[in-house]
Amino acid sequence: MNLGTRAILYTARKWRKTLLLFCLLLSITTLVLSGLAISDAQEEQAEELRGTTGTSFTVSRNTATGGWGNGGNGSYSTQEYLTSDMMEKIVAVDGIEGYNASIRTILCLSDVNGQWLEQLEPTGHSMVDCQFYSYSCINSEYHSLFLSGALEMCDGEMLDLSFDNGIIISKEIADKHGLHVGDTIQAVNDPFSNDKTKELKIVGLFEVVADKTDERNNYNEASYYDYANNAFVSETTMKALLENYEDVGYASADFFVNDPEQLEGIIQQVQKITSINWNNFIITANDEVYERVSSSISDTGTLITTLIVVITVVSMVLIILILSMSIRSRKKEMGILLAVGIEKPAVILQYTIETLLIAVAAFPLAYLSSKQFAGMLGTLFGKTAENVIVTTQHFTLVATLGTILLIAAVLISCIPAMRLKPKEILSQME
Amino acid sequence: MDLLKRVCLYLVRKKGKTATLLAFLLVMATLVLTCFSIQSATITANTNIKKALLGYFTINAKHLDTGITESVLNQILSIDGLSGNYILRSYYYANYYDTDGKLLEISTEGAAQTPAEYENAGKIVASSNSENDSYFTEGGFKLTEGKAITSENGNAVLIHEKFAERNGLTIGDTIQLSDVTDKNRVTDVTVAGIFTSTKEQDAIGTAPSCDLYDNIVFTDLATASYLLYGTEDETNIQFGDFHVNDPEELDHIMEQVQEINGVDWNSCTLTRYDKDYQNAKKSLEGLQNIVFIAIAVVSAICFLVLALFMTLRLRSRIHETGIYLAMGISKGAVLLQYLLEVFIVAAIALLLSYGASAAISNQIGSRLLSQVTAETYETVDLTQNAETAKQPTEDLGLSEIIVEISATDYVIVWAFGLMICLVSTALAAYPIMKMKPKNILSQMS
Repeated sequence: MNLGTRAILYTARKWRKTLLLFCLLLSITTLVLSGLAISDAQEEQAEELRGTTGTSFTVSRNTATGGWGNGGNGSYSTQEYLTSDMMEKIVAVDGIEGYNASIRTILCLSDVNGQWLEQLEPTGHSMVDCQFYSYSCINSEYHSLFLSGALEMCDGEMLDLSFDNGIIISKEIADKHGLHVGDTIQAVNDPFSNDKTKELKIVGLFEVVADKTDERNNYNEASYYDYANNAFVSETTMKALLENYEDVGYASADFFVNDPEQLEGIIQQVQKITSINWNNFIITANDEVYERVSSSISDTGTLITTLIVVITVVSMVLIILILSMSIRSRKKEMGILLAVGIEKPAVILQYTIETLLIAVAAFPLAYLSSKQFAGMLGTLFGKTAENVIVTTQHFTLVATLGTILLIAAVLISCIPAMRLKPKEILSQME
Repeated sequence: MDLLKRVCLYLVRKKGKTATLLAFLLVMATLVLTCFSIQSATITANTNIKKALLGYFTINAKHLDTGITESVLNQILSIDGLSGNYILRSYYYANYYDTDGKLLEISTEGAAQTPAEYENAGKIVASSNSENDSYFTEGGFKLTEGKAITSENGNAVLIHEKFAERNGLTIGDTIQLSDVTDKNRVTDVTVAGIFTSTKEQDAIGTAPSCDLYDNIVFTDLATASYLLYGTEDETNIQFGDFHVNDPEELDHIMEQVQEINGVDWNSCTLTRYDKDYQNAKKSLEGLQNIVFIAIAVVSAICFLVLALFMTLRLRSRIHETGIYLAMGISKGAVLLQYLLEVFIVAAIALLLSYGASAAISNQIGSRLLSQVTAETYETVDLTQNAETAKQPTEDLGLSEIIVEISATDYVIVWAFGLMICLVSTALAAYPIMKMKPKNILSQMS
């Protein structure tokens, strides 16, 4: 009878034992596969979590290296402004999710008939009461007032470059004047000059969440305007409204990154853009939130990784223990095989083939079961496990290492028995 | 031969088998215990993340006649769930005098207007720590001389360097502040520091003279309280920012605050600030779920493997069982013997596993610790033109992550471990026990 037949016959005839070994191998492989998938999912989730910290860097013009000019309103910097071209080059760097830059001005808003729109709490001076603190936006989603949660959109859409003449105003102002998303209003920078009046379509309304009466905010021009008297305007329109003024441009722009861990690298990439004269601009990293949470996030990562390492090591130990136990109980059989003249290597090979026969069935099944298992356990306790995905790489890794480990385990378990002569083995058994 | 003796003899004589079983149980128990300790450590890590996302609420009591009094403040601070980090703030306007009662000069350059009665007045900013005030953290103010004002200072002020220059003031000089509306409230204050503004005020042309950077004076809360409310021994405040441990609890804590008696909460504005947490909430939950799933998978499979192993082990003892039965030992006694063997080994394994998993947990703990130390020394070098964001110096009061086995977890592992041993042995023994001794023995030969 040849070796292969013997191995198959043993496996089939001792089917209960085979089944048990199969179940054990299946469970342990499932454990390791799930562990690997969980480890990957954790990394992914941690990256997502890092991404929610709103980490950005600001490119602003360096007034220290630029010249100064004198105008009607005191001195002003003559340093070059950020151009759309520069910003597009920066945003093209990998890992940047979006950006925003604003031009701020005070616009007088009126309805389509030229009737001035009154502020929320008018002072009684009609030329002051129609003034709204306005920002032009490249993408209003990234405007600090929306990011900080001071304002929240309640109707319509955020403004971005796809709108040529859009405006976002507060819900309170819209309610006061019976305006809705889709209505048209007019804006002018200085009604007593030859500044153009432009028509704007309301694309969205925001709600005020923050408490503007909190005096902590009182240090800049914007703070003299109630949040409800703020407005966000399309870039194109803003440029047209301010075409009579020279010192208009982007003094700074905020670029938001996907993964704060990459921030440093991204900034270095940005600084390599040669078409921008970096002598004229400063880059500032804004990653305070990330800095605060990063150590705790990486703690969780370390803990999970350790867990997976422990699982893997334990699984290896378990497999060796189980196989050695199963082979140790076959000492007598081994003696008989040796006694009938079958060589030691052939016996070992037979055992190895038997084990591998079980593994061949257990490994692919473990791949399938681990795909289900984590998800099932998750849903059982009402927790989502969408990220826990067993990949073919995981499987290949586990199958390869598992096979090597199994062979090694069989060899190790056979050592004590193999050292004895058939006679010794058989006499020991009597 | 009695049962117990048989058990002991079996364990001692079958050394190899006993050792394998012991090793197996030990490994399993250690794995599950380590799992539990890791899980409780990740809970701490998660709590730390939530805490570090800084959820807080602000009470604006500007419209109350007495502000927030000390007793109300103490009641707020005694609410469970506050992290202990809080900032108290008051704002007011005051006239500036020197010690002789002579009015000091303020800057009016760039002011939209100088309101009547405010010709020598400026904005007073009082905070529990002037360093944390938004003028310093965001507005570009920098202290050039002296020390920041904290709640421990009394009757101290920080003044702008231009204001100091204009009025010939230096650190240690005394000036007088008086309430703009009620001239009776006058207090002497000492100049404790001089600051400068690094950014240009963009409200030039919009702001009244008293709001100009040059005319702002920072002081302590007690001084502001006296000017605002005329309090002598008590410090009342206008604004308070209270940080909470878990931003999830913010609503609940704010409700509790509003249940405090003796305050007209309708005149106050309570605002929640937890945008960072709201942004991170979903991902954070995802991360928690993954940890949970990891622990669940490991525990479930461990018990499964344990049960299978016990079955495998018992099956190799069919022959022995037949002999026992043939000798007239009752089935119950045989089963009991098997159970006792397993229990004795399991007990030893569980005892040893405590030490083993404690050692592993220690290792993990020190790894986390070394990570923290490594981070402290890490400097972010963004080269030439880039400025590094200032490191958060504030103490977030994060809990240290301790990886250790809690007594409850240990008890749970004991209970489940022994139960699994019992059930799996009983189940594995069931088919054997069902057979007659004769059948068993004939099957074997």
